[in-house]
Amino acid sequence: MSGKPASPLRRALVIFGGAALLLAVATDGLAVIGRHVGVPLLGSIEVVQAAVLIVSSAALVVATLDRRHAVVHLLVNRLSDRPKARIERLGNLLAAVLFLAFLVGSGWIALDMRGGHEESELLRIPYAPLRLIELAALLAITIICLVHAIRGARK
Amino acid sequence: MIDTPGTGMIGVLILFLLLTLGLPIGVALGLVGLCGTILVLGAEPALIKSGVVLFDTFTRYELGTLPLFLLVAHLCFSADASRDLFDAAARMLGHRRGGLALASVGGCAAFGAVNGSSLATAATVGLVALPEMRARNYSDELATGTLAAGGTLGPLIPPSGALIVFGIIAEQSIGALFTAAIIPALTQMLLYMAVIAILVRLKPGIAPPTERASWAARRQALWRIADLMLLIVLIIAGIALGWFTPSEAASVGCIGALLIALRRRRLSRAMLFKAIEETLRTSGMITLIIVGALLFSVFISVTGVTAAIGAFIQGLGTGPTVTMLVIAGLLLLLGSVLDGLALMLLTTPILLPIVTGLHLSPIWFGIFLVRAMEIGFVHPPIGMNLYVIHGIAPDIPLGRIFRGVIPFLIADLFHLLLIILVPSMVMLLPSLLAR
Repeated sequence: MSGKPASPLRRALVIFGGAALLLAVATDGLAVIGRHVGVPLLGSIEVVQAAVLIVSSAALVVATLDRRHAVVHLLVNRLSDRPKARIERLGNLLAAVLFLAFLVGSGWIALDMRGGHEESELLRIPYAPLRLIELAALLAITIICLVHAIRGARK
Repeated sequence: MIDTPGTGMIGVLILFLLLTLGLPIGVALGLVGLCGTILVLGAEPALIKSGVVLFDTFTRYELGTLPLFLLVAHLCFSADASRDLFDAAARMLGHRRGGLALASVGGCAAFGAVNGSSLATAATVGLVALPEMRARNYSDELATGTLAAGGTLGPLIPPSGALIVFGIIAEQSIGALFTAAIIPALTQMLLYMAVIAILVRLKPGIAPPTERASWAARRQALWRIADLMLLIVLIIAGIALGWFTPSEAASVGCIGALLIALRRRRLSRAMLFKAIEETLRTSGMITLIIVGALLFSVFISVTGVTAAIGAFIQGLGTGPTVTMLVIAGLLLLLGSVLDGLALMLLTTPILLPIVTGLHLSPIWFGIFLVRAMEIGFVHPPIGMNLYVIHGIAPDIPLGRIFRGVIPFLIADLFHLLLIILVPSMVMLLPSLLAR
């Protein structure tokens, strides 16, 4: 898809996910240098964990937007366009159901943990915003899958 | 009662059906896992478990290893690494009979070290090496077979995406897996080179020698890849010797790859944006599969299907070697209809408890599984690498490409047998370095 211009949503996701990715690179890099010069960077793992959540959330949305989820091609490649499109619609519909279930499960936990002040041990990074990012990504993916299912096969 | 091994087996069959129908692998794994767990445990615990699995996976430190190594690969690719690696190997070996084929294997090994993907390795080295070999009158069979097989070096040579995924699913040390992969990857590469040497000895006409490059030209080519080779050695040695964790190694790799791109005047905002975009796209695809596989393994474990299969196998009293040979046969059979990642994620939750029940190391099993999975990339009818090479040179009939890969496939089967019969080939380095 590299040839087509990035939509504002995809662009924002790439910038958001990319910033988290580069934050993880910088944190791990500083942690390695710090450890070897005798100035350990405490809590670097917690920063990387938070960055990984942002990267994973953005990555899942980008992969879904671009319809890049891996499939087994054994049967699909031998089908004509019409049944292939039907299977793709079914796949998108089932993906929407799965992500909706994830959204319900994750939302349930987020609600349960609302008053609990969840945070990381060393740097006290609050988990609530991280859970919100995760929920937003799951909601976005559910909607994208539904839109793909309704609109039909990729052009 | 629905929490029985029978339910688990039905779940596996439904999963197989959904995969064959062409549903996204992660969605099929996740749906069967979630619906199965709802049936066995009820809706509330299953939904909450899915939420827990998702957040735990998303905040898992080791998961960061995957996008970071993917970014290293994309940055190196943008810096034209594949061409330089092949060029250097071709200038060193090209004058020998079959030298360009040997150079292709070397190029695949080196590019596989920064890439970790079978398809990407076959495609990128193939794009450079195949036209070169054809221009020098190499036989189509030898040229395409070498590149299709050479691509499979990618998933085994550390740092490897497949091993990272296995490490996350099986909760094993990714560093130990990388260290364990070094000897099998080197022996696989040597076996491919031996195959080329034998083929060329038997039929000298299939790979004519080319002009010998001057020492100045060789030095120049080696100098061009010195930065890349240094980065590869730093990453692998750093992990093996415990200088840094795999995730830190990936970050060090990213910094190194950025510096290499800068040195080669390839670093720009557009290039970085594209590399990050590709990284997110691929890691999003793999993350969904990992989450799906973890949910599937929850379902498999609550039904007790692995315990039942394990008890059945122990009841046969065949011993670990025969059992692993049977498992290898099963994996190769499944590998002819499923793609590599699906095969690994479908079988890990079922086979890992059985293998550990036989007192075999999970690290050894990870290498064995990835090796078996790689073979699926070159054996018909799925053999994705064969189609990748066909895509590069559509004028070469698929049948000729299939014929070309057969000698390498025989070497692959021999190598898998070696891994089963000589487990120390895998476990030697991790145990030595753990001391």
